[in-house]
Amino acid sequence: MLKTMLNGAVAMAWLASALFFLRFWLQSKDRLFAFFALAFTMLAGNSVVAALLDADDERRHYIYVARLLAFLLILYAIWDKNRASRRGGV
Amino acid sequence: MAEAVYILCALTSVACAVLLLRAYRRTGTRLLLWSGLCFVGMAVSNVLLFVDLVLLPTTIDLFMPRLVATLASASVLLYGLIWDAS
Repeated sequence: MLKTMLNGAVAMAWLASALFFLRFWLQSKDRLFAFFALAFTMLAGNSVVAALLDADDERRHYIYVARLLAFLLILYAIWDKNRASRRGGV
Repeated sequence: MAEAVYILCALTSVACAVLLLRAYRRTGTRLLLWSGLCFVGMAVSNVLLFVDLVLLPTTIDLFMPRLVATLASASVLLYGLIWDAS
């Protein structure tokens, strides 16, 4: 019960962060923020699925594949941003 | 296969934290500091994940510390976004 509630809190926090980044993206049109919004939405979905699956469900490992993809998206976003600033872009 | 994913989760979150904190040191943008600290927490959570599911026997369960580390990371980012970035 407590675990489910904490997972819900984590999901809500990721989702709220994603909405902030979505707003920054709409304001600045900097696609770094769009990538961040997408990655944090993925992490939110991740927590929701983690809360819904049983501890011994064999599909549980796929949660971490989704988490890995979210982290890779952040890494790509930073790399993309660095490349853009080296070219003199925003 | 699962072990590889846990290790990669830990490595990618450490890489995210290092890159974000390095960018913060270079530019001084405080949002980068909060994002970096958030990924430090996620790195802790992912290292605990590997220790819990691969290294430790199944009798020891680190689920709660992992969840608390993740919640702390998300809260740090949210704090930064609400109090610092707008």
